Amino acid sequence: MAKLIMFHGRECPHCKKMMPLVEKLEQEIPVRFDKREIWHDEANADLMRGYREALAPKCGNQLRVPTFLNMETKDAVCGEVEYEKLKDWALKQV
Amino acid sequence: MKKRYWRCFVCNDIHYGVAPPELCPTCKVLNAYVEISAEEARRFLEPSAAAPAPPDFRTAIESFAAGQVFQVNPDREKVDLLLKGIAENESNHGLKFCPCRLRTKDWAEDQRLVCPCNFTIHETYKGVADGECWCGLFVRRK
Repeated sequence: MAKLIMFHGRECPHCKKMMPLVEKLEQEIPVRFDKREIWHDEANADLMRGYREALAPKCGNQLRVPTFLNMETKDAVCGEVEYEKLKDWALKQV
Repeated sequence: MKKRYWRCFVCNDIHYGVAPPELCPTCKVLNAYVEISAEEARRFLEPSAAAPAPPDFRTAIESFAAGQVFQVNPDREKVDLLLKGIAENESNHGLKFCPCRLRTKDWAEDQRLVCPCNFTIHETYKGVADGECWCGLFVRRK
């Protein structure tokens, strides 16, 4: 199974909106997201910073949340997106 | 462009920028600024017991947005969540960092993440009819 991460922030409204969609997606297709909160856990923040080169070009040259990352291919999608868009992206990863 | 410190020789206002203000915004004297060191600026900027406490951040950003082409998001629940995150980031990380981005630990870059940020140049706002800042705290005024 592909190693997918969802970087999120506890007080980020976009992340809060995406979280139930991610959980729904995990029920619908065989994917699992490793959910990493980045403002209250410095290890998670450092992990995200470690992928900056791959993430920033897809996120307005910044590190933004929510961000969905395939740890192996470095493919990523950034921001609050429609369910179908996230699903299409996730299906490409499996 | 390197920013430097400037002090008004009349009222001791401190300015940090590439050039001093022509007109002092406090005492209204023209050409009143002299360049000073960061250390001297720091001494002038040390918190004074006489200085009034700033307004709470919600009041401050509402005042900031008044009369602008953008406003604080009318979605109270969203704003409450964001203000909580901004307050926690200030408490835990020293500045009012945006809860929807991550600081890089590069000071020059991270200054751009302090709320309110210069969101008017961001792709989520610039040229977007219903644009908003990345986190959604500010939205284009309808």
